[in-house]
Amino acid sequence: MPATTKTNFQLVSNGILDENPIFRLALSMCPAVGISTTVMNGLMLGTAVLFVQVFSSCTIAAIKNHIHPRIRIPTYTLTIATWVTVIDLVLAAYMPAAYKEMGIFVKLIVAFAIITMRLEIFACKNSVSASFWDGIGMGLGFMFGMVSLGLVRELLGMGTILGYDVLGFRPLLFFVLPAAGFFCVGIMMAMFNYIELVYNRKKRAKQV
Amino acid sequence: MKEIIRITVGLTVSCLIAALVMGSVFVITDNAKKHNEHVNVQQTVLGLLGYTKSRPAPSDLRLYTIYRYIISDGDTSTLGYMLPVLKGDSVGYQLAVIDLDGQLVNQFKLGVTPEKASEPTERSAALKEVLKPPRTFVYADSTIIAKLGQRRLAYLLPGEFPGFKTFIDVMLALDPSFKIIGLEITEQEEDPGLGAEIKQDYFKNQFRGKSFEKLKALHVIKEPLPEEYKEYLERGKGRESPIPEGELEIIRSKYQDKDIYALTGATISSKAVTDGVKNMVTKFAYRITRLDSVITRQHIPVAF
Repeated sequence: MPATTKTNFQLVSNGILDENPIFRLALSMCPAVGISTTVMNGLMLGTAVLFVQVFSSCTIAAIKNHIHPRIRIPTYTLTIATWVTVIDLVLAAYMPAAYKEMGIFVKLIVAFAIITMRLEIFACKNSVSASFWDGIGMGLGFMFGMVSLGLVRELLGMGTILGYDVLGFRPLLFFVLPAAGFFCVGIMMAMFNYIELVYNRKKRAKQV
Repeated sequence: MKEIIRITVGLTVSCLIAALVMGSVFVITDNAKKHNEHVNVQQTVLGLLGYTKSRPAPSDLRLYTIYRYIISDGDTSTLGYMLPVLKGDSVGYQLAVIDLDGQLVNQFKLGVTPEKASEPTERSAALKEVLKPPRTFVYADSTIIAKLGQRRLAYLLPGEFPGFKTFIDVMLALDPSFKIIGLEITEQEEDPGLGAEIKQDYFKNQFRGKSFEKLKALHVIKEPLPEEYKEYLERGKGRESPIPEGELEIIRSKYQDKDIYALTGATISSKAVTDGVKNMVTKFAYRITRLDSVITRQHIPVAF
């Protein structure tokens, strides 16, 4: 893939819509199924991924010419692990309130496929600024996916949104259980793809 | 061959850089992190004792921490209590070694201040000075004693017990007669929506006010939580309570000696917490009674 020709805005919207990590690329499905039980979880994990993705993308883009091609994957993992550790320590030290909520999520990120994959196919071929915007797009896309999944599961499973009681009863406890994650991800992925199809059909019709 | 060397060197250098970055960040942030943990515990303690921002703790409230160690010397094992003692105006630490029959075996003066004693490494260093090999010691647990003026206000027990998935960390507050003042779940990883509900007020506040006698025979019952009791347990959470002031006392006495209502779909977690709390309190009551009798017999000038 040659260096990207997209504008910054296109890079961001690309991560949120066209190449949404969860619904389009189907990467990082473990957290999408496992953690997306509430909106808050989605928001926290999304924020954490956003930061790690942006920092790692920028680092790799900056040092891409010095990495021996044979050891690029270990280097990516090391970079991600370093940033995860740094963010974890800094949060614990200076933002204890946020750390209380996000602590367990930050540590999970090291093994996320989406970040490594983005470093491999985007950051190591593009400039720092393009990688920065791509990182933001991917992070926001991931957050969007997690929050929308969390919204559905929390509302249907516990009758609350962000911990506030909206329905006053619990429709289907099943939705907060891990197994329901598969159903939710599957159905929402189908919906997302269908909307994309309809939208692009109109666009194609216009072009003709 | 050249390629292998380049790869090796490249990997080593990247690892070194990563280690350097992580190490320096750790060194920079370590103190602040420890301070935060300390503040966190302090807040949980004050919260359990009923002190909030709008109702701050009185200035003569003191918190003293006892650390319990298990000392083994060959085949025999004894208990080592690190007790805060009064030294003039300041507080120092003393180690009281008590055998399993509740008799004082030995006592040593320790050279740590209460601030330093909160660090596990500092404690071990101080203990190593008095407990020479072949004696070994392991940390068991700690207890915080809250004292208001001259009277013991509460015991605060940090503890953990197995839950449905992993360990549940709690902080328990007891009054001097071992009645439960409050329960706080500090860390848990139960299922969201099911077991994780243990940290909700309507579950954990059910333990509040249970007497020691009742606690010894406390069970979990699988009955729906009555609406008025739920309102009572969740009162004072920012919103207007629908229960009139006068009825609070009636509801309180009505449910005072009830068992714990299990959470829907999380009987195991509910039972784990109930049994864990029961266990912690009964063991603690036994230990502190023995320790207190040793302290009065030996006239140890303890601070609490």
